[in-house]
Amino acid sequence: MKKSLHKTTYLSISMVAVFIGLMIAMQFRTNNSVEQAVPIDRVQELTIEKKQVERDLDQLKEESADLQIKLEEAGKSHTAATGALESELFKNKLYGGLVPVEGQGVEVLLDNQEGSFYNIKDDDLLKLLNDLRGAGAEAIAVNDQRILATSEVRLAGSHINVNLIKLSPPYKVVAIGPSGTLKSSLEIRGGLTEYLSDLGVSVTVQSKDRVLVPAYTGSLRFDYAKHTQR
Amino acid sequence: MTVGLALGVLLAVQFRVTREIQSTEPVQRTKELAAQVNQSKDERDALQGQVDNLRAELDKAMSLPQTAEIMEELDRARIEAGVTELTGPGVEITLNDSIVSLKPGQDPNLYVLHDEDVLRVLNELRAAGAEAISMNGQRLLATTEIRCTGPTVLLNKNKRLAPPYVITAIGNPDTLDSSLKMKGGVAETLQFWGIQVTVKKLPQVVVPPYSGGIKFEYAKAAV
Repeated sequence: MKKSLHKTTYLSISMVAVFIGLMIAMQFRTNNSVEQAVPIDRVQELTIEKKQVERDLDQLKEESADLQIKLEEAGKSHTAATGALESELFKNKLYGGLVPVEGQGVEVLLDNQEGSFYNIKDDDLLKLLNDLRGAGAEAIAVNDQRILATSEVRLAGSHINVNLIKLSPPYKVVAIGPSGTLKSSLEIRGGLTEYLSDLGVSVTVQSKDRVLVPAYTGSLRFDYAKHTQR
Repeated sequence: MTVGLALGVLLAVQFRVTREIQSTEPVQRTKELAAQVNQSKDERDALQGQVDNLRAELDKAMSLPQTAEIMEELDRARIEAGVTELTGPGVEITLNDSIVSLKPGQDPNLYVLHDEDVLRVLNELRAAGAEAISMNGQRLLATTEIRCTGPTVLLNKNKRLAPPYVITAIGNPDTLDSSLKMKGGVAETLQFWGIQVTVKKLPQVVVPPYSGGIKFEYAKAAV
C-alpha cells in the first residue's frame, strides 16, 4: 500500500515537472516572438511615410526634368538663356508668394462681437493659419497681406501686424486649397470654429470655387541669409 | 488535484496568448516596409542632390552680364521659396519637454510642448526679422504646418520629428535672441512650465532647403 502511494506521488510529480518544463519552453519562445512582433500602428506609420516619400520623389522628378529642359535651352543662345531664366524666376516667385494666385478655397471672416469681452488675438490667427496649412492650403492672405515663410502675426495694441502692416478687425483670411477639406478642418467638432465662437468671436467659413490671394508687395531684403557657396 | 487545475488554467492562458501573438503583423512584412521606406528616402536624397546640382549648373549657364539683375531677383525669390541652402549668422534654439517631476493630480498636459508653443516661438523669430528658419533639418515654408502629436512633431505634410527640437534661424543673432528672452516673452513662459529652452547665438548657421518638391495643385498664377 505504502509502495503504491509512493508510485503515484512520483508519477504525478514527474507529470507536473514535465508540464512545467514544456510551459517554460513555450513561454520562452512566445516571449521571443513578442519582442520581434511590431505593433500594428508602426506598420501604418511606415505605410504613410512611404506614400509621403513617394510623393516627394514624384515632385522632385518633375522639378529635375524642368531644370534639365531649362538647362538645355540656356545652352542654345543668349535669348533662350534669358527665357529660361525668366521662367525659373517666375516659378520661384510663385512658390515664394510673390505672384498673385487664384483657385478654389475658403474665405474665413473673424470679427469681435459687440458686447463680448474677448478681442481676437494673434494666437487665434496663428492657429487658424496653422490649421489651414495642415489641411493643404497652398496660399494664404490675411486682409490682403500674403503670408510668406517669413510673415509674422503679432498683436500690437488692438491691431495685429502682418508683414509689418497694421491690420484691424474684421479679419478676412483667404486660403487656396481643397475647399472642402479646408472648410471641414475648421468646422470639425471641437475644432477652431467652435473654440473661437465659444470665446465670443464671430466666425464664418465659406468655401468658394474661386478666390484670389494677392502677392506680397513689401520689399524683399535679405541682409543675413546668403546662398551657401559650394 | 489543485496542481492539476492550476496547470490546466495556465495551459489555456498560454494557448490563447500564443494565438493572439500570431495574429499581429508579421515582423517580416514590417521589416520589408521599413527597408522600402529607407530605399525611397535614399533615392529622394540622391534626387535632391541632383536637383541642387542642376540648379547650380543652370545658374552658371544663365549668368550673363545682361542678366545680372534678374539673377539677383532670382536669388531673393529662391530664399523666400525655400528651395536652396542658406548660410548666415543666427540662432539655434533647442526645445525639450519638461523635466519637472509631476506631483500626483497635476495635469501632465501643461508640461509638454504644444503646437501653439512652437508656433509662438517661430512667430517671435519671424517678428524679429528671421530670414530663413528650419526645424530639425526641415525648412519652414509659407505652407508649413506644425502638429504636435504625442511625443513627436509633424510638419511639412507629415514629416515626423523627434525631440529635442532644434530650430535654426538666420537673422540678426542679438535681435533674435532678445526677442525670445525678453521679459514675459516666449522663453520665460515656456520655462515656467519646465520646458527647456536654450538659445545659442552663432556667427554661422546653415538652413537646409526644403526636402522634396514643391507643387501647387490648386493655386494658379492669376494674371
